[in-house]
Amino acid sequence: MEKKKTMVKDIDRTIYDIKDKVHPSYEVKEGLTPEIVEEISKTKNDPKWMHDFRLKSLEIYNNLKVPDWGPSLDGLNMNDIVTYIRPDTPMRGNWAQVPDDIKNTFERLGIPEAERKSLAGVGAQYDSEVVYHNVREEVRRQGVVYTDMESAIRDPQYGSMVRDHFMKLVPPTDHKFAALHGAVWSGGSFVYVPPHVKVEIPLQSYFRLNAPGAGQFEHTLIILGEGADLHFIEGCSAPKYNVANLHAGCVELYVAKNAHLRYSTIENWSKNMYNLNTKRALVEEGGNMEWVSGSFGSHVSYLYPMSILNGENSRMEFTGITFAGKGQNLDTGAKVVHAAPHTYSDISTKSISKDGGTCTYRSSVVILPQAYGCKSSVNCESLMLDDRSRSDTIPVMDIQNDDVDVGHEAKIGRISDDAIFYLMSRGMSEEDARAMIVTGFAEPIAKELPVEYAVEMNNLIKLEMEGAIG
Amino acid sequence: MDVALRNVNMLPVRTWNRLGINDTGLQEKFSDPAPYRGKALAGSLPEGVSLTKKPFPVSDAETGMGKDTADFVESHSNCGVSLCAAAGTKAEKPVVLNYEISEKNPTVIDCNEITAEEGSEITVVMGYRSEGDVPGFHGGLTKLYAGKGAVIHLMQIQLLGDGCTHFDNVGAFAEEGGKIDIVQAELGGKHAFSGVKTRLGGTKSQLNMNAIYLGDHQRSIDINYIAQHTGRKTSSNINVSGALLDEGQKTFRGTIDFVRGAKQAVGHENEYNLLFSPKVRNRTAPLILCQEEDVDGQHAASTGRIDAARLFYLMSRGLSEAEAKKLIIEAQFHPVIDRIPDMELKKEVSDFVKGRLSQLESMG
Amino acid sequence: MGNFPRQRCIQMLLEIKNLKVSVDGNTILHGLNLNVGKGETHVLMGPNGAGKSTLVNTIMGHPEYKVDEGSIIFDGKDITHLPANERAKAGLFLSFQNPEEVPGVTLENFMRTSRMAITGKPVKLFAYKKELKEKMAELNMNDGYAERYLNVGFSGGEKKKSEILQMLMLNPKLAILDETDSGLDVDAVKIVSQGINQYKNKDNSLLIITHSAKILESLKVDYVHVLVDGKIVKTGGSELVGEIGRNGFQKIAAAAV
Repeated sequence: MEKKKTMVKDIDRTIYDIKDKVHPSYEVKEGLTPEIVEEISKTKNDPKWMHDFRLKSLEIYNNLKVPDWGPSLDGLNMNDIVTYIRPDTPMRGNWAQVPDDIKNTFERLGIPEAERKSLAGVGAQYDSEVVYHNVREEVRRQGVVYTDMESAIRDPQYGSMVRDHFMKLVPPTDHKFAALHGAVWSGGSFVYVPPHVKVEIPLQSYFRLNAPGAGQFEHTLIILGEGADLHFIEGCSAPKYNVANLHAGCVELYVAKNAHLRYSTIENWSKNMYNLNTKRALVEEGGNMEWVSGSFGSHVSYLYPMSILNGENSRMEFTGITFAGKGQNLDTGAKVVHAAPHTYSDISTKSISKDGGTCTYRSSVVILPQAYGCKSSVNCESLMLDDRSRSDTIPVMDIQNDDVDVGHEAKIGRISDDAIFYLMSRGMSEEDARAMIVTGFAEPIAKELPVEYAVEMNNLIKLEMEGAIG
Repeated sequence: MDVALRNVNMLPVRTWNRLGINDTGLQEKFSDPAPYRGKALAGSLPEGVSLTKKPFPVSDAETGMGKDTADFVESHSNCGVSLCAAAGTKAEKPVVLNYEISEKNPTVIDCNEITAEEGSEITVVMGYRSEGDVPGFHGGLTKLYAGKGAVIHLMQIQLLGDGCTHFDNVGAFAEEGGKIDIVQAELGGKHAFSGVKTRLGGTKSQLNMNAIYLGDHQRSIDINYIAQHTGRKTSSNINVSGALLDEGQKTFRGTIDFVRGAKQAVGHENEYNLLFSPKVRNRTAPLILCQEEDVDGQHAASTGRIDAARLFYLMSRGLSEAEAKKLIIEAQFHPVIDRIPDMELKKEVSDFVKGRLSQLESMG
Repeated sequence: MGNFPRQRCIQMLLEIKNLKVSVDGNTILHGLNLNVGKGETHVLMGPNGAGKSTLVNTIMGHPEYKVDEGSIIFDGKDITHLPANERAKAGLFLSFQNPEEVPGVTLENFMRTSRMAITGKPVKLFAYKKELKEKMAELNMNDGYAERYLNVGFSGGEKKKSEILQMLMLNPKLAILDETDSGLDVDAVKIVSQGINQYKNKDNSLLIITHSAKILESLKVDYVHVLVDGKIVKTGGSELVGEIGRNGFQKIAAAAV
């Protein structure tokens, strides 16, 4: 059968150098059949193009290999992957099944009773539907479209815009879990901000957490018109429990000329999750992309938000923190490609490892030959809290012209005894002193988040330090 | 002879394959190696240092370029020395080895072992040159063993012409209080590879590495340095600096690896790259791997053109832009060149660099 | 030595008996004795390496300093092996010679947390902030410092002021000042002296380590001790400061042998 190439509009594919990894001799072993994908498509009432897209993605999925670098995915049952995505997979378990440590964390974080079941995906929406609806109304007055992905595809006005952008920035060929996503995606948000509109309140995907298939394979597509401004917040700090344990979401962000997008995430999936998320932003001339990311949960994470600086004078700033505790292997970082002149990128990350957890910081900064006059700065700091844990820093820079200014700094160490003694001499117990230092370490990220999130994040850190979680 | 080496200069931990930096390979055809014609050793050996037949104290020496490359040299070498500095000896002059690639020696594959017994100190300088741009191949393997409290200074200076492919593969091991001090100058050759892996096994053992490179014309330079800390209170310091001009390409991988148990270890790595042409390509992967909390690991890298303020300052003192640039690059190389103990070689290297940089005049 | 007979019955706040302290296996203090009474101001002087910093860090409970023999009784309680925060709660305060920088933690937040930890009571935010602002003004410290990360990027003088500010906010029973005056210009010394005077009353005590007499000028000093080679070799009144200034430590040390 003739292979159809995925069309990528306006994007020079050499930018991210996607190689066709299809091996025709591969056997289909994974048990994810076209019938199942058909079933999904039918249940969702997909338009034909989406139906075809899913099947094509399935084909690509079957021919790609699981990544050979990064944390082991042995615990993920690839043969049974079908059980993760069948429409009849019980997305909502019952409250009795929710692990105690999650329930405790809700308690400690002061999450209202009403929200807990919703967050654990085991109850009906408490009233997030209402809140969500109200937010939509408010921004609609500004001309902003904020709706769920399934509706967006079918929308008479915006459906074609969605089609033109859907999985063009992250094509199914990108890697195996992008292909999986393309075949079985479900849920997520579509946001369109018209030119020159500044959205006053942050939009939060938290409202959609309980939708069917929510949080697992959700697709977020945000398109900002010229000069638009938006802050989008994904997730919340409360632990999100899910019956199935694979999250292969996809986020595609289009930042038009002179637009500004801030995308904040606090990810705290339950500690049995495999979080294989792909996030990518395309930034045009004068555009400004800001990522704020806190990773606390999951058993294994692969998370590297990527920015393509496609227009002159565009910029990207990434601020992130990753905290790996017992039983966690969190592989996170950021990627940026400078594809235009006078672009700017700044990556600043912190990571904390304790109790045998593993944190890996992985990044790539690529400056293409045509991107002259660029500046890039990478700063990563790792804190080890004991000698049972592990922290690896694997940054790569590929600079392909001379008119650049690239700086990189990495540091790793432990909490200094002198700092602990100093704080103790002012009355704090040793645990409190450590917690204060670690919170201080995470402060640059906390201050980029809205206050409630910052407070929650700090509480989360305190709990992690006490060993109250996991 | 067909040479096909795989997994060359491998990163200890892989990253995205797309970046093409996990490792590299070497595939070329060279003249079959014949015994080296000429005397490599300049002068005599200092007192206390001898050629030895004793087996190398480390049986499973790990090298920077990897097993494939090490095996290749061991089975095809046509020259090389096994030196041993007797316990307590502080060799009063360096051991100087000179190799020249020429029509009569188009292929030089040297296999060397340097053992410094307890409390000794030895300096070995290896220089590689070629007759103009004659095509040729140099591949070297050097194993270093610093016993308790011993010091090894190794300098590998490569001044080959544009017709040569070159590699230097080094594996070093240090016992308690042992010190490994390596200087590498990759200044020539069409393709140059260098890999150094040092295992700091003994308590308080140290590694000091200083490397300079000059990638002009279509030169490609591929480097892999690994400092593996297993002993307590060990320290490593790696400094790499250089310049890329024309279509020069350089890939540098530097790993500080703190293995569990290496308490109070300190590892610092610094990289400074000057770029002079829009067609250059500079790739860097500075890794820090850590399994031990009580350590201090730092890495800093800076890449770009000459600092404008500095350039202006020099020009305000009368230098032309080209002269200022030359001065700055030479200044960058100076601390390393200065360490060469052999006066003649020092001058030779300085002149070599000056000569190559003279083309900067025309760049203006 | 140190057990200098008092003229009236003074309650002992700090009693150090036969203190032997080692660091990394090296003994620094060789059986030191020192008593500080309630309401008193003591000064400790001595050549570099004598053990002054060792002594004050040991009193505060720095884990690197090992008490091999002897005891430290503070306000009737044996604190010899208590962790540093327990000592702070008991009413001890040390103004460090080289205060740590703690990134990410604001001065204001830090001090509030410290006060809560020591008093065990919640701190009323508004009143606290007002008090902090007032005390900062008295020390001629710009308001902005409250929001800055603790000691990060502070000059030497600013760090010392930050320590004195903490002392004023925490109001300890015994404040130990480790070379608070070093690195300060004339104006700063004046301001810090004022701060110290403000703190001092008839119930609390001071133990000041210093090389210079400048900071002592405006204080009423009760006792001066000379520490040489890990032992207190002489105790006297404030006239001892002048004597040291003229003759140095050697003469005094020689006389003690």
